[in-house]
Amino acid sequence: MKIPKHIISAVILTLVVIALVVYLGITFSSMRNPEPIYAGEGVTDMKMLSDWFPGLKGTNGDTEVYILDSGVEGASMLVLGGTHPNEPSGVVSAVMLVEYCQPEEGILYVIPRANNSAFTCTDPQEAAPMKYFIETDGGERWFRFGSRATNPTDQWPDSEVYVHASSGQTLSGSETRNLNRAYPGKANGNLTEMIAYGITTLINEENIDITVDLHEASPEYTTVNAIVAHENAIELANMALWDVEDYFSISIEKSPTNLHGLTHRELGDYTDTLALLMETANASQGRLHGAIHSSLVVDGVDKFYARAAQYGAVTVPFGEDGIGITERCARHISCLVAFCDEYLPEDDLYISLGDMPSFDEMVENGIGAYLHSPE
Amino acid sequence: MDLELICLLAMLGVFLVSNMVIKLPVSLSMMFGAIAGALVGGQGIPLRHLFEGTFTYVDTMLIISTAMLFMTVVQKSGALEALNAAIVTRFYKIPALMLVLLMFVIMFPGMITGSSTAAVLSAGALVAPVLLMIGIPREKAGAIIAIGAIMGMAAPPINIPAMLIGGGVDMPYIGFDGPLFLLTIPCAVFTVLFLGLKYCKNLDIEKLKSQLNTEIGKEYGFKLYLPIIVLIVLLVVSKALPSFPQLGTCLIFLISSFVGLFTGRKFNFLKESADAMETTIPVLAKLMGVGMFIQVLTLVGARGWIVVSCLGLGMVFVYIATFTIMPAFGAVSSYGAASVIGVPFLLVMIQNTSCNDIVVAAVLAFTCCLGDLMPPTALAGNYAAQIVELKYKPVLKNCIIPFLFCIAVAVVCILNTNALSFLTV
Repeated sequence: MKIPKHIISAVILTLVVIALVVYLGITFSSMRNPEPIYAGEGVTDMKMLSDWFPGLKGTNGDTEVYILDSGVEGASMLVLGGTHPNEPSGVVSAVMLVEYCQPEEGILYVIPRANNSAFTCTDPQEAAPMKYFIETDGGERWFRFGSRATNPTDQWPDSEVYVHASSGQTLSGSETRNLNRAYPGKANGNLTEMIAYGITTLINEENIDITVDLHEASPEYTTVNAIVAHENAIELANMALWDVEDYFSISIEKSPTNLHGLTHRELGDYTDTLALLMETANASQGRLHGAIHSSLVVDGVDKFYARAAQYGAVTVPFGEDGIGITERCARHISCLVAFCDEYLPEDDLYISLGDMPSFDEMVENGIGAYLHSPE
Repeated sequence: MDLELICLLAMLGVFLVSNMVIKLPVSLSMMFGAIAGALVGGQGIPLRHLFEGTFTYVDTMLIISTAMLFMTVVQKSGALEALNAAIVTRFYKIPALMLVLLMFVIMFPGMITGSSTAAVLSAGALVAPVLLMIGIPREKAGAIIAIGAIMGMAAPPINIPAMLIGGGVDMPYIGFDGPLFLLTIPCAVFTVLFLGLKYCKNLDIEKLKSQLNTEIGKEYGFKLYLPIIVLIVLLVVSKALPSFPQLGTCLIFLISSFVGLFTGRKFNFLKESADAMETTIPVLAKLMGVGMFIQVLTLVGARGWIVVSCLGLGMVFVYIATFTIMPAFGAVSSYGAASVIGVPFLLVMIQNTSCNDIVVAAVLAFTCCLGDLMPPTALAGNYAAQIVELKYKPVLKNCIIPFLFCIAVAVVCILNTNALSFLTV
């Protein structure tokens, strides 16, 4: 019996599609393998966010909380990395704290993957690499370059308009899966709101004194190379500025009262913590960059941003040498140290991150020098 | 010459040759253009990026698909015929008012959902037969629907490009209603009167009645309109009451379609819906092709080249590009235009002029919405043409003057942002 040609072509096409789906399925699934984080000598315990909010247990929103207890009674600080996994200096700085920092006073909590789900996908249209690589003393480490938002396979579909739960503020529906628009969170909300709720609960239950959310922004963004502080934390930010302004230029912005869902607004309003957020300039997440690849993420060199700087279209100095991840992490770490050093508690309980490298040392040695070698 | 420009030219060249010379469908031509760009840019054939790009419009494609089902149900159940008869017999004596009211009906779903596609496929499909019946030629009726849907997409309370632009600069979506009404209402009224009024000045009601099916309304009564009423109520309630479960446009279309299965004339839903989907698959494929294209555009750096080149030509060119390149980018995606071009343009305008930022953002968002007229995607134009059973070229041709009027209104607004700042309160 002769098989009609259209049947043959249909079968061939179907097989090709199956092969492609299998290959691409494996490719995209690889994003679910977490990058290794090696607990350093300062880490005294590791819990999951679901230990504070059991609603997250078993979900892709549950995430590691590293606890670095100095053993000396003192204040507490929470550092959030990976609120937006496509802002790598926040992630790498948080990982560096876990692997290198040894606090001498007080307790440091670090969540390197605040939105764990968002690490498992990339954003359509952005063409970002799935991974980027950082050289350490003992070899190359890899990190995932995820999405700004929760993976749609964990939370979907988005409504056309996102209504912030506690304020009623409306934003584009694409913000529904943005962790930094979901605070203070909602116990029975969507996954993103539940993650925010878990972090808010941790802050309340552990009486966290200072919370710092590490971010990056595109170089054309208005708030970049900046500390954004809740009105309760403005004084601390100003004091810290004195410590770091000899090394780099950074501005302080007061958290807007009419923009809701962000850490620096809601954590300051709904908890007793001093809420701060930091932004560095990341060319790979902007709209003006040229070809995108891992080295753009790490080295931050981009000819179009350099051109745009000449046209006055970016808000930070951006030259031919770009802004590499080492400088971006060094800014974050230096400010974290400064926040701890300048914290003036009423109860005389201080926090010290111990022997941390200076801004200049980090720039000279590279951020890889302070990361664990791959095993 | 920058490699990124060479990539861009390769992408456009292969797309045009594939579509116009080899006569491949737009969707496949876009895919081949994307592959060409990736090859020239040294990325090989980036399967992951081609695949990921197709997901850009997955939500839009679901809205289109469910809206097509709703449209089929409303047509086949007889609700459309009954509605047409009711509108024409009530308003035929005041044609200008009738046309303006019909325009607002077309706009309404777009205002609520922020999607021109939803507007065309729901209200546009309801109003199209009325426009044709009162004597408006098909191509002009299609143009009225396309522009009306876009004005609905741009009008408050929901303007997604404005939200995207605002989100890019941390500007809350507050104070946009006044400027957006100022931009959209005059354009909508002008369009419908310019294209339609001369055809319906002296309507012969007896002749019209002979074309109307006035019996079906009597046979099934009020319940015939239930799917339309359910659609409107759910759209309004889910937006007006934040505590109401967010059903989403797709589910609302499906619920309304389900209701329509029991309220009028019986028909074979499976067969009719399969036929409806068959007609829409080429447009869905086109969206997937566009998704691949824009992903590779970003991958090879051509997106950055376009934006930086615009910024480098100075403030005057930024204004010119706002009214040329930004709507043209809508050929790829109007939402993409808002995010990729709208945000840097707004930042440059704020930094270099003493303009009112909300009015500027509203004008940029309005201009982005006009991109839904741009071929090859031309979401609004494509579906409006399909509804009036034409190819989209004659429909788009009739959109040119209303489009230019819209641009003129936008230019006037952007040159007078401070004078209009009272609208943002």
